[in-house]
Amino acid sequence: MLSRSWRHLARRYSQATTFRTNENSPAQHSEKQEGLFYTMKPELCKQLFSHGGFPKSFMQQTKTFTETAVMVRQPALDLISCIKASDLNQPAIRYVLYGEKGSGKSLTLAHVLHYAHEDGYLIVHVPWVSEWLRRVPRHKEMSNSQTNEGFVDLPLDAAAWLIHFKSQNQTLLKSENLKVSKEYVWSKREKTEAGSPLHTLVEHGINRVKYACDVVDVLIDEIKMLSSSKQCKTFVAIDGFNSFFYPLTRLSTPTKKTVKPDEVTLTTSFLKLTHNDWTNGVIVVTADQLAVPDDHQESFLPRYLLYKKGFDHLDPFVPIEVGRYNEKEFQSCVGYYRDRLWLRGPPEVETELKFTSACNPYRFMEQCAPL
Amino acid sequence: MSNHIRHLNKCILRYPSYTLPRISVVLQTREYSRPTSFPDFFQNPIFRKEDQAKLIESSELSKIAALPVKPPAVYETSSVYHDPLVNKVINHVMEKGNKQLARNLVEKAFENIKRSQIERYHLATTPEAKAKIELDPKKILHKAIANSKPLLQLQPIKRGGITYQVPGPITEKRSLFLAIKWLLEATYEKERTVHFPKQFAWELLDAANNTGKVVKKKQDLHRQCEANRAYAHYRWQ
Repeated sequence: MLSRSWRHLARRYSQATTFRTNENSPAQHSEKQEGLFYTMKPELCKQLFSHGGFPKSFMQQTKTFTETAVMVRQPALDLISCIKASDLNQPAIRYVLYGEKGSGKSLTLAHVLHYAHEDGYLIVHVPWVSEWLRRVPRHKEMSNSQTNEGFVDLPLDAAAWLIHFKSQNQTLLKSENLKVSKEYVWSKREKTEAGSPLHTLVEHGINRVKYACDVVDVLIDEIKMLSSSKQCKTFVAIDGFNSFFYPLTRLSTPTKKTVKPDEVTLTTSFLKLTHNDWTNGVIVVTADQLAVPDDHQESFLPRYLLYKKGFDHLDPFVPIEVGRYNEKEFQSCVGYYRDRLWLRGPPEVETELKFTSACNPYRFMEQCAPL
Repeated sequence: MSNHIRHLNKCILRYPSYTLPRISVVLQTREYSRPTSFPDFFQNPIFRKEDQAKLIESSELSKIAALPVKPPAVYETSSVYHDPLVNKVINHVMEKGNKQLARNLVEKAFENIKRSQIERYHLATTPEAKAKIELDPKKILHKAIANSKPLLQLQPIKRGGITYQVPGPITEKRSLFLAIKWLLEATYEKERTVHFPKQFAWELLDAANNTGKVVKKKQDLHRQCEANRAYAHYRWQ
């Protein structure tokens, strides 16, 4: 009896203490920190994720918990060690994160993004592709492309993305060795000189929203060239990548013609970026069921979600599965939620929740909510 | 459980084959169609572990062990979260039998309460202030309902061609009904842009604090009863 209560006490104690790690630099994370939560600094979150990057429910959680804590999980560790071990002189390696809904693909991506930021990569991050192709708010700005015949521009979205890009790479864009390779003429009076710094190009896109899509296109070419010529190393992260390959978007032209994803200029630009015809870069994309409509969510495997076209486009790639919590991760998550008062009640609750949520991180969080 | 399966088999055997598909469809969605045709001697299920333990302790279990038992409904669970009052509120919120939606709405309201309380907890500076904040949404619901239960009621009674509003005692059941009804009425009086869970959360927090529309309504009723105390004798004359 005594030993049992001791064991119980010891378990409670270990739960209370071992769900957090003080190692806040992702580069230093190793198997030791697996399943533990590390805290991101608020200013860093603001810089990296203020224009998207965290799922909406997680943003709400950070507000309630008054901190941003991300669990160190095996897929992110694998990914980081792969990136560390890979030779950047070879063509860019592509990684595909996949997994069930709510298993933490976007948060894994955010964790790796933090690593890339710390390691001095130039970050090209698309927070959620469906935001462009599938979400149609009341004032969705669409126009026919001036430069490419038969293509559709999303100038506002492109400009918003440029702002995102600018805020993520504030420090790198200030350095002088990122230069535009050739002259770009936008109109009679506006042009970008060859040799002017990269941020003038970005600024131009933000100020002249009309040209934002063309600027994104040009910017991506420049980034590829710059990293191939070893001026910078580039980290590409695209969440909901499979949205580019779903046969239709929800956009329609003023003549009621539905638009295909390959008719959007942003799609062509980012598909160019995910080709591995350049070096000194890392490409991480996610294949997510939530990025496509209900009728194409039967499986979470990349071959199904990306279609043959997308699969061939990415092939060869490194698939990384983001799975449900294992026992250790679940216990540490329970400890964290108890600490943040999100989960309360007797210890039997945990077994029940473990069973009903099937250790799915999102469902676990959701089911704790009304308790 | 085995009883119930045996009974079911009997049912299926007794019916001619052409009615079978209909029964099987019903069985898929809920186990028995509305007022079940269980004979009177079927006992109500005892589905809570505490109740079962009580039975075992008082050694009454052996008496009813041999009696056939009705199957428990889907909402009668032995889960740790089971709360009869919450279930009651969900049933009041429900429209046209859409329990799934009603439950989601109530749970969402609980989530809103929890979020606002946790944030207040983190913002509070002193431990005493923190200790004061109630974090459990179910406790808040219980408190809100207890605070909005009326103790008296007015009954219209006709004497000499005039209808008097006569104060009188109220049963426990009716007072609970009125409390939940008023809470929901207060919630439905909302801006079009505010959603039900949010408004319901506010109302519950208000009532738990002994403020807000519902508590005022209860106090108004009490005041009216006090004013009409002169008519009280009409109750028995």
